[in-house]
Amino acid sequence: MSHNIPDRVKRRVEDILSRYPRREAALLPVLSALQEERGFLSHSDEEWAADTLGIPPAKVREVVTFYSLFRRKPAGRHHLQVCTNVSCALNGADGLLSHLRKKLGIAEGETSADGRFSLSSVECLGHCDEAPCLMVNDEHYGRLDRRALDELLEKLE
Amino acid sequence: MNREDELFLTRDFGLDHLHRLETYVSRGGYRAAAKALKTMTPDAVLEEVKAANLRGRGGAGFPAGIKWGFVPRGTDALRYLCVNADEGEPGTFKDRFLMSHNPHLLLEGAILASYAVGIRTAYVYIRGEYESIARRLETAVSEARASGWLGDHIAGTGFGLEVFVHRGAGAYICGEETALLESLEGKRGHPRLKPPFPASIGLFRCPTVINNVETLCHIPGIIRHGAEAFLKRGLPRDGGTRIFSVSGAVARPGCYELPTGSSLRELIYERAGGVRDGRKLKAVIPGGLSAPMLTENEIDVRMDGDSLVEAGSMLGSGAVIVIDDETPMTLVLEKITKFYAHESCGQCTPCRVGTAWMARIAARLRAGRRRNGDVDTLHRLASGIKGRTLCPMGDAAALPVLALVAKFRDELERSS
Amino acid sequence: MVSLVINGQRISAAPGTTILEAAREAGIEIPHLCYHPAFPPVGTCRLCAVEIEGLPKLEPACSTNVKEGMVVRTESPRVVEARRNVLELLLAEHAMDCPICDKAGECRLQDTYQAYSLAPGVYAEDKTRRGKKIALGGGLLLDRERCVLCTRCVRFLESVTKTSELGVFERGDRSEIGCVEGRLVDNNYSGCLAEICPVGAITDSDFRFKTRAWFLEARETICPLCGRGCAVFLESHPGFPRVPGTAKAYRVRSRRDERVNGHWICNVGRYGYGYLEKSRCRELAGPLAKTLNLKAATDVVAPLAAELRALKYKGRQTRVAVVLSDWLTNEELFLAGAVFRRDLEIGRCHLVGPRDGSPDGMLLTAERSPNRAGAKALGFNTEETTLEALARDTDLLIVFGPFLQDRFRPADIASAWAGVKTKVLFTPRDEGLGAAFDLVVPTVWPAEKDGSFTNCQGLIRSFSPALAPPPSAVPEWRLLTALGRAVGLNPSFYIPFRSAGDVRRAMP
Ligand SMILES: Cc1cc2nc3c(=O)[nH]c(=O)nc-3n(C[C@H](O)[C@H](O)[C@H](O)COP(=O)(O)O)c2cc1C
Ligand code: SF4
Ligand code: FES
Repeated sequence: MSHNIPDRVKRRVEDILSRYPRREAALLPVLSALQEERGFLSHSDEEWAADTLGIPPAKVREVVTFYSLFRRKPAGRHHLQVCTNVSCALNGADGLLSHLRKKLGIAEGETSADGRFSLSSVECLGHCDEAPCLMVNDEHYGRLDRRALDELLEKLE
Repeated sequence: MNREDELFLTRDFGLDHLHRLETYVSRGGYRAAAKALKTMTPDAVLEEVKAANLRGRGGAGFPAGIKWGFVPRGTDALRYLCVNADEGEPGTFKDRFLMSHNPHLLLEGAILASYAVGIRTAYVYIRGEYESIARRLETAVSEARASGWLGDHIAGTGFGLEVFVHRGAGAYICGEETALLESLEGKRGHPRLKPPFPASIGLFRCPTVINNVETLCHIPGIIRHGAEAFLKRGLPRDGGTRIFSVSGAVARPGCYELPTGSSLRELIYERAGGVRDGRKLKAVIPGGLSAPMLTENEIDVRMDGDSLVEAGSMLGSGAVIVIDDETPMTLVLEKITKFYAHESCGQCTPCRVGTAWMARIAARLRAGRRRNGDVDTLHRLASGIKGRTLCPMGDAAALPVLALVAKFRDELERSS
Repeated sequence: MVSLVINGQRISAAPGTTILEAAREAGIEIPHLCYHPAFPPVGTCRLCAVEIEGLPKLEPACSTNVKEGMVVRTESPRVVEARRNVLELLLAEHAMDCPICDKAGECRLQDTYQAYSLAPGVYAEDKTRRGKKIALGGGLLLDRERCVLCTRCVRFLESVTKTSELGVFERGDRSEIGCVEGRLVDNNYSGCLAEICPVGAITDSDFRFKTRAWFLEARETICPLCGRGCAVFLESHPGFPRVPGTAKAYRVRSRRDERVNGHWICNVGRYGYGYLEKSRCRELAGPLAKTLNLKAATDVVAPLAAELRALKYKGRQTRVAVVLSDWLTNEELFLAGAVFRRDLEIGRCHLVGPRDGSPDGMLLTAERSPNRAGAKALGFNTEETTLEALARDTDLLIVFGPFLQDRFRPADIASAWAGVKTKVLFTPRDEGLGAAFDLVVPTVWPAEKDGSFTNCQGLIRSFSPALAPPPSAVPEWRLLTALGRAVGLNPSFYIPFRSAGDVRRAMP
């Protein structure tokens, strides 16, 4: 299988590998680095990680499917991850989520037709002091109401 | 209590650049490390921490000194420190607060713990969602290395330590210490059978100490000012301060650092500004989502491990979630059960099937599709999980449901 | 030794033994699914939870070690309640299609349910649809609605074959066993997966829908398909009394032998049992049978003995050649040595066995015979021979064994041996070879007789019949005993041999 792994990722992987006494231990950070490139992990990414770290491909798949931050399908440019755990729910998270559903015309797990937004509901993000909160890709936004949310969406190209 | 008290972790959190090494050092940072490495033996550090009886801040409340003492000593064998920065317990955000304001405090704590136990490599396992905090930690590690507080020959002594920041990838269960080890080894976060305990066989099969971020942040203060000073704050058997994460239906959600044993009612009403929008308090989850909830007439309780156990709950991660009287309990039940069903690692039967089953019932209750016997089934399922799973996650999933059913059965049974 | 009490019974066990294993030793079975004696315990199914006096919680017997003075209860009300609870959870989303499931009758879940529960579950939520016919490779199918996630299959491929084709994907109750696209299960031990799956989640196309487990009789035997000689069960249907021809072998399963194969057998041994039926030699045949008016296999002994005796008297035993095989038992080879080499002083006794294959680095050896080591120990020449060498100056050729055609083409045999006056074949299999012989005598396969083999490790292991041979077939040791007696050069030597066991006792 031909893998299309850019050199900068390969260099990063070398750096990551230097932190662990065993290559397998680098699997999570290596997968994260690969995912950053394309926004998701392709079958070929998994195979490359398996090869590079000397792990059977099924063990890589075990890990990719266990952790909720790994994706096996492309997401939109802006992945809206709305916390719906108790503290956020007490502050109107469910309302925000349905607002987003209506406004973007997509359900959780879906991506808008223009590829701009994906929507997910997620568990506690550790920002309950800013409830209700959401994460767009790696960025956190809190104390949201519908207006603040609409303004945020405007800004996300 | 004096807010200028040096034993308050958050004392300097008002400063602008505390996360920079310079500022940290200017406020007395790394003095504890210098003192220990230059003037104390590792045993002396260990004894000081034991004397302080510092209880773990991650959830289980086990004394840190005793835990360190379990690691076999007197050999050259590799040992590891894992800093538990997974902070997944819903309602908890104190470790984020600590790491973003003062990453060097954590590093200094890690140096002291490693020195005491003879560790040369530490990993900070930080939840994947804390990407910017992870970067802040990485920067702090570079700064510390550049100025000789990490790497070989720290402070010109023979002691050396490397710290690596390892990001998780979205799994609450990886906060459980053995799941954390599996995850750090590049595997699924499946908790391990105990024994063996990590202190004897842990990361990469080596003896390993696992401590919560907040726990380690207390070590520099204990070493600088002594166990006695530490014990003056808080309770005699459970000393020092704790950082409470307060959220939910309160006027001023946030982190509040108080001496252990402070009153829950005061924390809610005086610090966090009471229930939001003038509503009434219906229930409080006092120690993270896994802690059984208390009702309005049960909140005159001290916030320390023993007192909360007496009150039928637990201190856990010290996360306080306030529920107001306009919130239907079916909503809370739905969110709680959904969380554990989503986060169960799936290894063991009662947790895997039991949590999913409870979540389905709760979702129906919330949607107004209650059937006769639902509440009894919930109770039976939670009882079948409690105490019968491989790791403590089962209890975490069962206890809040049991409490909710016990305290709000009428409301659940009226729901439709 | 540690002494403890289980269900009121005082037991002693080695330190480090688990409660489950100590109880098992003492004849107390504790229900379990994920535990398998070949792997370290994982303690995940929670079915084995037991009560230990002084401990607040039930503990998993599979992963709790015995301690001095421990008092364990495996059937107390609390234990039974917990067990029923776990059963209810396991069955909540279980397919419950036992009537069409191959595992029915030998299913751990079904057995435990019948012993402890039989209560209708109250699960009334929507069942998750899961894949029911997922091809795993190696002729295995996975049914995720039956899977209990014991992970035995995953652990087997991880620790035994080290091929790790399967994994647990997703998490929580979405967890499922699977393999990666284009990387199906592909190893010589894949058949073990259907065997260690405690339920009917992994089924084997070799057995699927063929019969029901409860019709089968499992008998112990030794796999003859390579030099390892793995301990196996041969499972056969005794036949429906009113339907002739329904008796037959259906399956080979591994049998635990720590010295030889542990818990496993390879696919060659598991699926290779087809030889038992294929081209089976069932009746006495050949022109000589007609001429001499022979009716049964044993009728062959007298004329053959007469011929051999006559040649020996004339000093013409050099005109006899004997072919033996390393599928013969030690007892048979010993008897052949006594009759042909010692008594008749025939120099040309050659071994012809099946062709070597390649070893798999685990159990399967290069030689595809169960007793090459035994034959060597008894002094037989295992070097290759040629058809011409066997035919040169030969008047009488006696061939034991079914493997001539594995080495030589039947046409070549017929032409090379055209000049040999008398050719006799003793064989359980006739694959178009009979035509080249004057007499073909039906004999039996190792699974149908008693005897012993010496495996590649030098271990001598005996076995008894696991299958009934065709009515007219006779085991070689019986024919050889009769022949030795009838040749009459040393008759009293053969008198005591009424069973292969008698022969074994007489061997050096
Ligand atoms: C399901 C589960 C989740 C946990 N999550 C965390 C966590 O996010 N952070 C943490 O520090 N401890 C967590 N713990 C507790 C750890 O297992 C462990 O007790 C702790 O990290 C030890 O550190 P301490 O002694 O300093 O508190 C969790 C435990 C369980 C059972
Ligand atoms: S209790 Fe839950 S999280 Fe813990 S091992 Fe069992 S399934 Fe996994
Ligand atoms: S056999 Fe012990 S938990 Fe499965």
